[in-house]
Amino acid sequence: MISIRKLCKEFTVTDGKVAALKSLDLEVAEGEFFVIVGASGSGKTTLLRCVAGLESPDKGEIRIAGKTVFCDAPPTWVSPQERKFGMVFQSYAVWPHLTVFENVALPLREGAQKIPRREVNQRVQEALRMVQLDEQKDRSSTLLSGGQQQRVALARAIAVNPRVLLMDEPLSNLDARLREEVRGKIRELAKQLGATVLYVTHDQVEAMAMADKIALMSFGRLLQYGEPMELYRRPNCPEVADFFGSVNWFSGTRVSAKVVETKIGRFEVDMGGDPGPKVLVGFRPECVQIVERGHGPRPNLFDAVLQSSTFLGDQFVYSVRVDDQSLMGKSRILPICGDRCLQLYVEPAEIMVFPQAERQDPLLSATRQE
Amino acid sequence: MEAVLRMPRLIATRLRASPMLLMLAALPMFVILGLVVALVWISFQTGIVGTPNATYTLANYAEIFGDPFVLKVFWNTIIFTLSTTFTALAIGLPISRLTERTRLPGKGLVYTIMTLGLLIPGIYTAMGWTFIAHVRIGFLNRWLMDVFSLDQGPINIATPVGMGFVQGLNLTALAFILTAQMFRAMNPSLEEAAKIHGLSFIGTLRRVTLPLAFPAILAAMIYMLTIGIATFDVPAIIGLGNRIYMLSTYVYLKANPPDSGLPQHGVTAALGTVMIFLALLLTWWYGQMLRQGHRYEVVTGKGYRPALIDLGGWSVVAWFFIALYFLATKLIPLLLIAYAAFTPYLAPPSYEMLSKMSLAGFYNLNWDLFWRGLYNTVLLVLTVPLITLLLSFSISWLIVRSRSRLRYLLEFGAFLPHALPEVIMAIGALLVALFVLPKIIPLYGSVWLIAIVYVISRIAFATRALNSSLLQIHRELEEAAYTAGLSPMRTSWRILVPLLRPTLMSVWIWSAILVYRELTVAVFLISQENITLPAVIWSYWFSGATNQAAAVTLLMTAVLTPLILIFWWFGRRQLMPES
Repeated sequence: MISIRKLCKEFTVTDGKVAALKSLDLEVAEGEFFVIVGASGSGKTTLLRCVAGLESPDKGEIRIAGKTVFCDAPPTWVSPQERKFGMVFQSYAVWPHLTVFENVALPLREGAQKIPRREVNQRVQEALRMVQLDEQKDRSSTLLSGGQQQRVALARAIAVNPRVLLMDEPLSNLDARLREEVRGKIRELAKQLGATVLYVTHDQVEAMAMADKIALMSFGRLLQYGEPMELYRRPNCPEVADFFGSVNWFSGTRVSAKVVETKIGRFEVDMGGDPGPKVLVGFRPECVQIVERGHGPRPNLFDAVLQSSTFLGDQFVYSVRVDDQSLMGKSRILPICGDRCLQLYVEPAEIMVFPQAERQDPLLSATRQE
Repeated sequence: MEAVLRMPRLIATRLRASPMLLMLAALPMFVILGLVVALVWISFQTGIVGTPNATYTLANYAEIFGDPFVLKVFWNTIIFTLSTTFTALAIGLPISRLTERTRLPGKGLVYTIMTLGLLIPGIYTAMGWTFIAHVRIGFLNRWLMDVFSLDQGPINIATPVGMGFVQGLNLTALAFILTAQMFRAMNPSLEEAAKIHGLSFIGTLRRVTLPLAFPAILAAMIYMLTIGIATFDVPAIIGLGNRIYMLSTYVYLKANPPDSGLPQHGVTAALGTVMIFLALLLTWWYGQMLRQGHRYEVVTGKGYRPALIDLGGWSVVAWFFIALYFLATKLIPLLLIAYAAFTPYLAPPSYEMLSKMSLAGFYNLNWDLFWRGLYNTVLLVLTVPLITLLLSFSISWLIVRSRSRLRYLLEFGAFLPHALPEVIMAIGALLVALFVLPKIIPLYGSVWLIAIVYVISRIAFATRALNSSLLQIHRELEEAAYTAGLSPMRTSWRILVPLLRPTLMSVWIWSAILVYRELTVAVFLISQENITLPAVIWSYWFSGATNQAAAVTLLMTAVLTPLILIFWWFGRRQLMPES
């Protein structure tokens, strides 16, 4: 449905140029709920605005449903009006001088697709009913709460029956509880309409909760895209792994195809490779299991000293020391024992192994602290 | 080649602007540029200027700087400008200090008086003060002569200092606004700290307040110098008849010599060029001062209010001062104009004169001329503000919304009319209409020539007002309309115009009032056909028919009053620093 090839975009700032998109490729299938996620400044909003036609890329090609809407050679440009999308903005962009009803009706009445007057009423009502705002339709939009404004923006976007719905951090201005509630509803609504959705957020939990597919962006590039579980379980680089949750990282050397030697001991891993090079092994805190002591030496089994533990309601997060390395674990039971000594185990299948670039380590340990 | 092919699309998409919008924004830029270039070009010509037969020479400049009379004019202008600035600040600064930092009762009324001060035309004050203090006919002089049995009036308003005083009264409201803004920006805790650490009131004023305020006061001074140097209306009303010339009136004399002399357009252009130079210099200096002033702006917490000084019994004195200002600049001049309109000749009010009051002055008016003036003025009031808004809106939108570097050029272009006084634009327009355009578009003598200059000179103010309002409208409100399928035109009409309505209204009515009362440009560009109402007043006045001039002024006020009331309704808050 959306096909992006080698898209480049530079911004001119006071002290030179900044590349916001660096030769980016992306495919979004019809009916897919596609989430672009990344830290701020990664270029995700620029990408969305390029698709919407609010930003003109420098190079590359964008095709929507087989039709080229932007291309540098031969020069092609389709204006945002003619792209016929629905878009929900971060600020909602609810027109403050119009009522709820008029906000939804204006694009239908005066937009690119001229819709007969009688049909307009019916479609506005329908869209407002979908977001449960049909009773507030005559209210001035300035009198609405944040959540209601967000729903007006959503109703306005879906009322035009768009082929593609674009959403730019639509939930970032809502409070935490409302956000969880609304994200379920947005996904439900999108599926009900069968619309292709391109959704931008910086929140990895939001991304995983909503997406059919996620693309992680960093500094104008796509690091990886795929299903949420794939990105979480089988990231293709340490950055992706770090983005979706905390990881205990250790650098080491591969001594044989499936064994890695690190400072805290030997790891048996499922991800095989040639012995020799330096590697980075990592596993997520929730993969650390507390086992009863007295199993004797065995791969992936470590003696640890408990440093601290925090009760979060649904789980304990604890920090231990293995030799002089720090390690984090999550557990549903209290990690307690008389002499603060624990024995920990990690399944070989849960361990990620990446080739280690020399200067990546300090960067990673910095991000791990978050 | 490829780059060339990409250009139009790039400009259009980068700016996301239709070619029409670009044209609307560029049009005034070209007009301004055209006026300035023509002026400078003609200033280097003698002979049949503006044609290929003209000789290029520096003779015009030699004539200006070699003529002792011109040097005298320069000197007059300097004295006049200094007197203007001093008067305006001497009255405006204390009043702004009183309203911003004391518990003066009835502050709302002060703002009202000051807004009126902005709106009432300068020629009213000038005419009124001629009636008060003209050396021969001034009522105050006549009275003083009677009381002290003098041979000659002791006060002469027709001097550079006197005219500067009158123009200073006109600019007091402006000085008030500029300095009130300064007091708003100045952190009062700096003064409080001085007080707490033992400095006396005078000590605090001398060591803290004034040094802190100095850059801003200096900036206000330079701003008023810029206006003063090119003021035409007051020197024309008071000075021309008494042969006391300023730069602006001298330029007028060169372009419209008395007694069927030949206009010296080369000299006019050279004087205009010198004035452009002075104006740009002062504007640059003003920018420098403003920047320095901002250095001292210490950020205060939101909702932080300075401790206001209790005036006690002194508030009576303060109000006496403000009332005196109001009487001297507005009420007495207006009353005297009304009085003069109903009397057959000029004489101080007396019982005898009251019995001679009649409507004769109105019957003797050239009504044909009056109706023509009113017709042209109404035409201008109806068209100029609308065109100004359309052009300024295009310019502002491009300045605020586009990311192209061209926007800096636009910003500068839109600022230029602010730096260039109306006199210069009037001369430029006169020369262009006479020598550059006549074969292409015969604009000379047409009311549209006046309209063009009015539009251009109002653009600086309008774009600045629109820029700041447009900045407050979130970009996404527009983008939401684009993605929803609304064309740029419809988006402007349905989204931006409604949201900008308060600003658009106040800019419209403010431009309308300025157009209605404008004298300078009109006087330079009038002919029999395109005369405006203020120019009708002026021509009566200039020909010595003082009472008829007063009658027309009174009629003009009758139309102005409702305009001012409309302005009250919409625009006051936009212009006044009222909290």
